[in-house]
Amino acid sequence: MLFFADSALSSDNAVEVVTHPGTNVKQYLSRNLLRSVFSMRLRTWQNGIPIRVFVLPDDAPLHSIFSKKKLNLFPYQLRSAWDRLVYSGTGQAPFVVHSEEEMHTKIATTPGSIGYLSRARIDGSVQVIHVNE
Amino acid sequence: MSMNSRKFFTNIFKGIAGLALIFSASPGYADEHQVAQILKQLQVHGFLSQGYVKTTGNNFFGHSNNSGSFDFREIGLTASLRPLPRLQLSGQLLHRRAGEGSDGGIRIDFGFLDYNFMNTPAVEFGVRLGRMKHPLGFYNDTRDVPFTRPSILLPQSIYFDRTRNLALASDGALLYGESRTDWGNIAIQAGAAFPQVGDKDTETSIFGNTVPVRGDLKSRLSYLGRITYERPDGRLRLAVSSTQLNVGYSPGQNDIFESGSFRFSPLILSAQYNAERWSVTSEYALRYSRHHGFGNSGLDRSSTGESFYLQGIYRLFPGWEAVLRYDWLFANRKDRNGKKFAAASGYPAHSQYAKDLTIGLRWNITPSIMLSTEYHRVNGTAWLSPLDNPDINDTKKNWNLFAAQISYRF
Repeated sequence: MLFFADSALSSDNAVEVVTHPGTNVKQYLSRNLLRSVFSMRLRTWQNGIPIRVFVLPDDAPLHSIFSKKKLNLFPYQLRSAWDRLVYSGTGQAPFVVHSEEEMHTKIATTPGSIGYLSRARIDGSVQVIHVNE
Repeated sequence: MSMNSRKFFTNIFKGIAGLALIFSASPGYADEHQVAQILKQLQVHGFLSQGYVKTTGNNFFGHSNNSGSFDFREIGLTASLRPLPRLQLSGQLLHRRAGEGSDGGIRIDFGFLDYNFMNTPAVEFGVRLGRMKHPLGFYNDTRDVPFTRPSILLPQSIYFDRTRNLALASDGALLYGESRTDWGNIAIQAGAAFPQVGDKDTETSIFGNTVPVRGDLKSRLSYLGRITYERPDGRLRLAVSSTQLNVGYSPGQNDIFESGSFRFSPLILSAQYNAERWSVTSEYALRYSRHHGFGNSGLDRSSTGESFYLQGIYRLFPGWEAVLRYDWLFANRKDRNGKKFAAASGYPAHSQYAKDLTIGLRWNITPSIMLSTEYHRVNGTAWLSPLDNPDINDTKKNWNLFAAQISYRF
């Protein structure tokens, strides 16, 4: 049963943050920086490239695992943060993809992109970002 | 004077918006590929809801008493364009039908330009020009979007739908900044703007509905501000927000009122704690209002109202949420039981307070379709609309409200 989430794939390594290989960010980012990125508050990478955030739908199990393990945020907190930005006009929403295949393709082909994938899907066409506590 | 300043803001907004579009989209500067890239940054979202309200004793959002009313609908279209990482243009069109107070039509809910001077991992700073929702409390900026509300009706003590337009949105300029550190984020917004006064709802909130209003309300320079603290994990959120809204009045022919002014200054303290399965939210407000110079001793007075609610949300299963809330409102904190008011005016004391116990259930059928329902047991009528309940003596002190709503968004 998928009850609040993480039973099936609960190892910390099951999900990894990934970026476009040319994004040229550090291989280690702080958790707070990632929170600013995924809550859509930070607009550009340090080198000036616009950040493109990709996420799975709110009810996707991997989204929940990513949100809790990598950001230490509950998915509903991300949703409220995005809704506050979008519906007050003060920010934009992340791009929603509907499968991990689509996530992989978007991350591999979109400069400035960031998202997440389960470890089994990771290959050389995306760059893994490690999270500093 | 105020008209000139208002035009000034409007012209600045138009000018900058125009320049931004020319700069970002003109073929002289950008080839087709770049134009396509810019249009990729266009985001369009929308929402659509239909509500049902049934009450016993009084009317809320239409003729809801006994028979029930479908007179509650919200339709919104939100667009944003970010032609440059630093620049965002945003707008929202809103159609809202909610009883006599909001009788439909399409209005520009907000429309502004946002320029981000600085945005680093540690600091953000920028300016917004145009029409903005007031940053008041946790919910005012997104109050007409069902998905952003904890319940179908927001706690009416603070987010009253009775006379909502004055405190809703203003045209002007606002500075914003955010500091992000390991111990939390502090965000500040502060601005000056002209509130919207040209509607029946605002007229009723200033003059009541017992006398004909012959003159015109004038929007005057007003001030807005909010400071928010949020722990990095968002578990704890705190906010202090306030506005000082100023409205002038030019009398008409044979007017019983002189050219007075009205000021409304709410101060709101907000706190929220978010855990995995539950959230607790509470807000407290002091609402100062003052009528001055109308040459009418019944009207020229000031008072401070008081509002408070405590709300718990419990996430039962994925997609299911229950809400329990106690909400109270006093029209005048020096006359909480309304007895002084009743003695002086002959109107019911219960029109001066409202205590509302709400229980609700919400089901997110999918991330974009939501079904919600709630029941209110209310003592007092302070947040009832006089437009839906024209005879104050005819209102019932104890009444119930049931509401259901289906909402869709994209």
